[in-house]
Amino acid sequence: MSMISMRNVSKWYGPQFQVLKDCSVEVEKGEVIVVCGPSGSGKSTLIKTVNALETIQNGEIVVDGVTVNASKTNLPKLRARVGMVFQHFELFPHLSIIQNLCLGQEKVLGRGHDEAVAKAEALLKRVGLSAHAQKFPGQLSGGQQQRVAIARALVMDPVCMLFDEPTSALDPEMITEVLDVMVELAREGMTMMVVTHEMGFARKVAHRVVFMDQGEIVEDALKEDFFGTPRSERARNFLSKILSH
Amino acid sequence: MAAGSRGVNYHWNWGILLEPSPDGQGTYLDMLLGGLRWTIVTALCAWVVALVFGSAIGVLRTLQSRTAQWVAGAYVELFRNIPLLVQLFLWFFVVPELLPREWGIWIKQLRYGAFYTAVVAIGLYMSSRVATQVSAGISALPKGQRMAGTAIGLTPAQTYRYILLPMAYRIVLPPLTSEFLNTIKNTSVALTIGLMELTGAARSMQEFSFQVFEAFTAATVIYLLLNAIVTFGMRALERRLAVPGFNAAR
Amino acid sequence: MFSDFDFGVILRSLPYLFKEGMTFTLTLTAVATVGGVILGTLIAMIRLSSLPVLPKIAAGYVNVMRALPLVLVIFLFYFLMPYIGQWALRADQPIQVGALSSTIITFTLFEAAYFSEIMRAGIQSIPRGQVAAGYAIGLTYRQVMSYVVLPQAFRNMLPVIFTQTIVLFQDTSLVYVLSITDFLGAASKIAQRDGRLAEMYLFAAAVYFLISFTASMLVKRLQRRLAVAR
Repeated sequence: MSMISMRNVSKWYGPQFQVLKDCSVEVEKGEVIVVCGPSGSGKSTLIKTVNALETIQNGEIVVDGVTVNASKTNLPKLRARVGMVFQHFELFPHLSIIQNLCLGQEKVLGRGHDEAVAKAEALLKRVGLSAHAQKFPGQLSGGQQQRVAIARALVMDPVCMLFDEPTSALDPEMITEVLDVMVELAREGMTMMVVTHEMGFARKVAHRVVFMDQGEIVEDALKEDFFGTPRSERARNFLSKILSH
Repeated sequence: MAAGSRGVNYHWNWGILLEPSPDGQGTYLDMLLGGLRWTIVTALCAWVVALVFGSAIGVLRTLQSRTAQWVAGAYVELFRNIPLLVQLFLWFFVVPELLPREWGIWIKQLRYGAFYTAVVAIGLYMSSRVATQVSAGISALPKGQRMAGTAIGLTPAQTYRYILLPMAYRIVLPPLTSEFLNTIKNTSVALTIGLMELTGAARSMQEFSFQVFEAFTAATVIYLLLNAIVTFGMRALERRLAVPGFNAAR
Repeated sequence: MFSDFDFGVILRSLPYLFKEGMTFTLTLTAVATVGGVILGTLIAMIRLSSLPVLPKIAAGYVNVMRALPLVLVIFLFYFLMPYIGQWALRADQPIQVGALSSTIITFTLFEAAYFSEIMRAGIQSIPRGQVAAGYAIGLTYRQVMSYVVLPQAFRNMLPVIFTQTIVLFQDTSLVYVLSITDFLGAASKIAQRDGRLAEMYLFAAAVYFLISFTASMLVKRLQRRLAVAR
């Protein structure tokens, strides 16, 4: 059984504009999927439907056996099991780093404070930011903030992780530190769905690459095939643009 | 005040402040200070009403539901577009008439009727302004903040409680300070229904003693002091609540 | 609850309410707005000038006015006016000042403090480069102000000025404390004479609401148009 299973997912904004057209993706446990495509192709929307941050009008999404778009699904409970990392980090500015990592554990998972702090400290150590536990998000660099954001997702013991362009708001010199954490995570066998333009990351750890354009999944191929011989004209075009500089 | 050789014939007598007032409760100064006490108590109580209702309506305005937005919008427009004095009269004279007879009589016989009415009327009037500020504060936050809260599994109520409102209040603390100052000033309107707050006390001191300018000058000075103290206190609060590394103007 | 509601009393008093009351209310609103904006602009210019002492006095005036309740200011000026008149005209006795002129002066002086803050923000929102460009083509300070800065500041601030005017329109009801027959005063007199408080105050509330609400919708529309044109 797939960890994430999306079948014939469609979404409209208003009556006219269709952002997602009949999209189907399967992500197996331990698999790393990179989703790419030009801006406005619907890739961010697609990944946000997995934990129902975006609703869908058609199709079905099942995560770890739970149907996301069923009306009786307990969404907070589901979301707590799906980690998400955002383009602009979205740490909570009024909470210290350690508080950022404890909030979900205490309020959603119901963990005790001491347990939450211990878990948070362990993950901060893992992303190399133990020294910053008492600081506030505004006092950290972008790269550090994004690593905290990854830790904030991991403290919830997620069964899979979603990354929505995690490096595109970062200054170039900070991209590596974030990608390193992600690569390590992938090698440990985390199931990951990553929207990114970092083709180096894709080559290194992705199992499959999904290419989207205008709301459609144009290509869903093994990494080797995608970079070797992309079948569609649109994917070739995109690749040549993104790799030329 | 003097013009040329001719003086303006007003006789200053600051000693009046220490003379006994006809209400038998002490000096005229005591009378003014008693007024100040009513001003403060009324303003604080009205501010609590304004914060509670204003926050609720402000949150309602930022929900996805069209109905919620409409209800909140209508509330704000209703309370903002009728003069405070008229609202005060409605609560004081009209509402007891429209209620079942016994309730109306009970309300009219309340010992501090003018005070309760002022708290409700001024509180609700100010709540529409607080609502506007609170919803503006929430809307000023990046859209991703709500998403991030939702993504870690917080319910909408928890997202507001732990993520959105703490930041929104910090952002709108300066405008909320001036709304609180407005609340203090607005309590003076309640003299029309017989609340003996500071302006009302100055007015009756003037009527009893005929020392117009002593009465109003003293009241003016007290208002200025009150204003300065509140402003100073709120600045201190702003500093205390400031988030390290976060610049509200960002 | 509304069973003994008497709409007749409203109909009968319409001419009095509007011809006497609303005329006073609207006159006071209009004159105090125009006067307040002019005086407020002057105060704002003084505050932003590099003159000696005057900017401090102007700032003090604005801060004091904004710290005081309007009701207090209405009383204070009402009693102060005859003495100022006596002083200005060098008369023997404090002179009689009519209710309309007294309230017009009070509201103009009071609102000037608020309008001056609006105009100050407006003037400060004009980029320094505009002033420099004005001087560069040889304009004097006066010309830079009147042809370059103030027109832009005024235009940018127009919605805020109108919004303040709506507040002012509602605040005029406070002249009630001087027993003046403005719109609310007229309604209140009928209410007490005929013992029809519910009818008259609800009607007054409805009229104030309709006028303020309509005006604020128009201001919003103006705001959108200005935003597009910029």
